[in-house]
Parts: sequence; structure tokens; C-alpha cells
Amino acid sequence: MLIVKLAFRNILRNRRRSLLTLLSMGGGFFLLCLTLSMTEGSYSNIINIFTQDHTGHVQIHKENYLERPSLYKTINHADEIISQLEQQPLVLGVAPRIYSPSLAYGKNKTFPAQVVGIDPEREAKTTHLENKVNEGQYLTRQLANKTNKDAYFPAMIGFSLAKNLQLTIGDELVLISQGIDGSIANDIFNVVAIVGDAGSYERMNVYISLTAMRTFLSIAGDSSKVHELALILSSQSQARKFAASTQSALKNESLSVDPWQVVESSFYKSMQADKKGSYISMGIIIFIVSIGVLNTILMGTMERTREFGVLKAIGTRPLAVFTLIMLESFVLAIISCLIGLVLALPVCFWLASVGISMPEPIDMGGIIFDTMLGEVSWFVVLLPSVVVISSTLIVSFIPALRAAKISPLKALQAV
Amino acid sequence: MLKLLLSVLFSLVAYLPSYSCFADDDAATLLKKMDELFRSKSSISMMKMQIITPNWQRTLEMKSWTVGMDDTFIRVLSPRKDRGVATLKKDTEMWNFFPKINKVIKVPPSMMMGSWMGSDFTNDDLVREVSLVEEYQVSKSTEGENYRLTLIPKKDTVTVWGKIEFIVNQKTLLPLEQSYYNEKGAKVRTMVFSNIKNFSGKKMPAIMTMIPLNKAGHKTVIEYVEAEFDIDLGDNVFTLRNLQTRF
Repeated sequence: MLIVKLAFRNILRNRRRSLLTLLSMGGGFFLLCLTLSMTEGSYSNIINIFTQDHTGHVQIHKENYLERPSLYKTINHADEIISQLEQQPLVLGVAPRIYSPSLAYGKNKTFPAQVVGIDPEREAKTTHLENKVNEGQYLTRQLANKTNKDAYFPAMIGFSLAKNLQLTIGDELVLISQGIDGSIANDIFNVVAIVGDAGSYERMNVYISLTAMRTFLSIAGDSSKVHELALILSSQSQARKFAASTQSALKNESLSVDPWQVVESSFYKSMQADKKGSYISMGIIIFIVSIGVLNTILMGTMERTREFGVLKAIGTRPLAVFTLIMLESFVLAIISCLIGLVLALPVCFWLASVGISMPEPIDMGGIIFDTMLGEVSWFVVLLPSVVVISSTLIVSFIPALRAAKISPLKALQAV
Repeated sequence: MLKLLLSVLFSLVAYLPSYSCFADDDAATLLKKMDELFRSKSSISMMKMQIITPNWQRTLEMKSWTVGMDDTFIRVLSPRKDRGVATLKKDTEMWNFFPKINKVIKVPPSMMMGSWMGSDFTNDDLVREVSLVEEYQVSKSTEGENYRLTLIPKKDTVTVWGKIEFIVNQKTLLPLEQSYYNEKGAKVRTMVFSNIKNFSGKKMPAIMTMIPLNKAGHKTVIEYVEAEFDIDLGDNVFTLRNLQTRF
């Protein structure tokens, strides 16, 4: 108890020195906290934009569909699964999809196209597809179904496909593919919208309603078969956990539930590699902060060599001197963390809500990235605290050991 | 004694080429019969095609017109959604017509080994297969009640098959089985002929079953419902205009 008392007295005795130490360490905390907030924030921002583009946070397929897609690998009873998933509070949207690679005929040209059957309303809740319509009108339920028997089903086509086939709104698009019964699926569609741009994911896609898709592929009789369910959750960080729990909740081994990290594994891996690179620069910042802490603590103990000599001379044990110095550093570290937190939190919150808008938006694979956003999470606050406190303790170890070992005679002779 | 032996040897030597030559001719005649069995000089027939796969199965009804070995015209009558889909084969060119999108699509050479209407028959089966006599070297051997015709492609024949074998009944001279081998000598698919029927005075197997051996659970059965032969078809059948006719 005496040592604690002594430690506090020592800190308060030389206020100017304590304040300088606090500022140096608090500054380190502040710096680290902001850097972490920005990197984490930017990554989650990219992930959010990326997953909301078309992937979603979690996807459900028939097993092996991702490795070897096939027309016949369908999720049966998708309706039940959808209503089951939509009841969960964590799930913001579920989008069923049917895929069929096809040949698209425009006026005189043919191009391969990926035809996607979507539920327009559910898709709009799950991804940003609706916002990507740059000409024409998004598929709505009224629009998606035929008004009369002879009319063509409406289709939204990707920007590049429209350009290649020289199609505009109102033109006829002919699609040929393989039906689920082996027949040659062929039909005419009415172009109602052009989506995306030359760089986006949808550039060579055709979107039609699920009803149209089922008629096209001759699976009209079975209205609960889809190839893919894409889910959007309230937070992307829940994806892995949610995928695992859904997988066991479905009780169907032939279906596989995968988080976006698995579905878009190449994107995830390159992002992980990028993140590792940024951890190196983070390590450098941590190192600089530690050096600063070392400097202040070392100077502090050197200055007080005579004081320790007196302590030793009046019979203080070396262990007590060691503990005293460590305790002083620990208390200083905690206070500096608090100061740093008080300074950093408002800035972090501002970054998380407003962010820094970039003068020139970055286009990452068709996904526009125009604001750098921060993030406030336990990770962002706790990691700098751990770094500051542990580096302070490690750094104080050497001066404390020296002070504990010094002989009173030498210490008292030192200037 | 020696003289006798020599004469036997000589006669054998003299006989050998003539024998093989005779056999080849005989085999070629038999093969020609196989070729013309379902076609004659001209034919009109109604067929049912049943396609069976592990995932689905469906039955097509169609009508076909043929003249000689070169021209074929097939029109799908049912199911309703495929009604009017037609295929025209003239010489070595082939077109498909889809009434729903009102488009004639030429089948490119690269698609020749592709499936015809989702069946186990390839486009090539419809186009090329007819000229077996011209494209293959044929030899015959006897096996019990049957002949075995072995077809090896001629030097300048463009084909994917390394060998084709026919099993033909000696009495009826009708085929029982036709097997296709790839260039490595492995059997790839088998066509089985069964249910011999009388079609306007001509006896022929009414059912052909194509079984691809590399795709488990796949099978295509063609059944001739009606067939008439050697009728004058006129000039209007094998034209692109007829292909695009709605009926």
C-alpha cells in the first residue's frame, strides 16, 4: 500500500514531467486509434460496397455449385427457406436468383450473356441493382409480368451488352439457351432498362423476372427452385457466424451456406494481403509510439537517480524500487490512454459518420469508392490501449531494473 | 505330293485376295443396305423421340422427310412449346429454325458434335452418318447367326470415330446393334435396334435406342410410328423457305 501511495505522490510531485509523459503517450494512443479507425473503416466500407453490389453477405447454394455451376444444381423449396430467413432480425434482405448462360441476339450480332432471373423487389432490398439503372425503368412487379399473353417479358440488360448488340430501350432482345428439359430455350424479350457501366459486374448480364426465367427455361411448373439465395445482414462482420448457424439450422446437407469471404474468395484474399501490408505500417507506428514512451520513462528515471539512491540508502528493498517504478509507469499509461481516448473518440465518431470525401473517386472493379470512412469499434479502442500499456511496461522494465540494482553510494554521487 | 501341296498353296494364295475382295464388296453392299434402311430413295416418317437423363426426360414427336443420303428435313410436332422447331440438312450444311423467335440459325462446324435438341444424337449423326459407304473401309466377319461389319475410317475421312461396328442378322439382314469407338479403341456409345415392323411393305426395326456409355443414366429412344418410302417429294421441301414456314 505504501508503494501505491509513493507512486501517486511521485507522479504528482513533478507535475510538468508527468504531464509531458502523459501527452507523449496520449499522443501515441491518439495517433494509433485514428490510424486503426481509418484502415478498419475503409476496409469495412469497401466490403459493404462490394457485398451490396451483387454478392450479399451470405449466399446459399446447392453444394458444389460455386465450384461447378450447373443448371440442375438447384435449391428446392426455396420459398420456405426465404420466409424462414426473412423472419430473422439480423437478415435485411434475401434475393433468390436463377442463372443461365445464354446467347443474346441483338440487331445483327450475337454475344454470350449471363441471364439472371431475379425477384425485383427482393433484389432491390438486397443489392444496389436498382440504383444502377442508368436508362429506362427498373423491373417492378407490374412491369415484370406480362400485361397480356402475347407481350414479351421485360428485361434489363448490362451496359456493354447493350452497346455490343446495339440495343436501346424498347428494342427486342432474343435469348437462346438450354432449357432444364434439354430443349433449346428461346424467346424474345423487351429491353426496359440498361444497367451498370462498362466496368461494372452487370456489363454483360441480362436481368429478367423469376417468372420470365422459369418460362424461358421450361421450369414453369416448379416455382420454388432457384440456384442461389443472396442474403444481406445488418452487419457484414456477422457473415461467418450467421452462415455457420444457418448451415446447421437448415438441416439439409445438400445445401451449402457460405459467407462472402468464401463466395468471393479471390477478393477476400487480395484484401487480406492488402490488410497485412497495412499492418506493417501500423507496426511502424506502434514502434514509434513505443520509442517515445521509452524516451520519456528513461529520462524520468535517469533524472531521479539520486532519489533512488536515497531510497536505497534508507533501506528500501530492490524489489520495492522496481515495483514502484513499474507502478508509476502503469498509472501514467492508463491515464494517458484515457486522455487519448477523450481526444480520439470525437474525431473517430466524426470520421465514422461524415468521413473524408476524396477529390477523385476510386473505381474498384466497377464499385465507386468516394469517401474514406472511419470506424468505431472495440478493436479500434482496445488495440491502442493494449499497445500503449504493454509497450510502457516493457520499456519501463530496463530503467526499473537499473534503479533496483544501483548501489546507493554510486546513485548519490551521480549528478 | 509336293505338286499337290504346291497347287493347294497356290490356289490359296490366288484365292486370298479374291476372297477378301469379294468379302469387302459383300460387306459394302450390306453397309449400303444399312445406310438406306431408314431412308430408301426418299421417305416420309413420323417418329417419337424419348430422351432420358438422370435429371429429366421428355418425348418429342416429329415428322421427317428425306431424299437419298443428302437431304433431311425434320419438324417437331409436340410438345406444344417446341412445336414448329425445324431442322434442315442439305448436303453438309445444317440449319435450325425457331418459330418463337423467328430465327434461322446455321449450325456451325464446331457444333456438329453437339447434341441435337438435347438428345444423345449429335448434329453430326443427322448430317454425316449417312455416307458410311463412302467414308469408311468395311470388312465383314461371321459370328454365329450374325455378321459383324467393322468400319475403319478411310485416310481422308474427317471423323471423330476410330471404328464403327455393326451386328447384322444373317437371315433378315437387319441391324441389331451399332457400336461407336473412339480413336483410342474404347467403346463410346451403342445403338440397339429392336421391334422389327412392316412399314408400307418394308421390314425394318421400329425402335432405335442410343446409349452413350460415358454418360450414366442417359438414353435416347427413337420410335418410328409411320413410314412411307420412295414417294415423290417435289422440290419445295428442302428449302430455307420451307424451314421458315409456320404451320
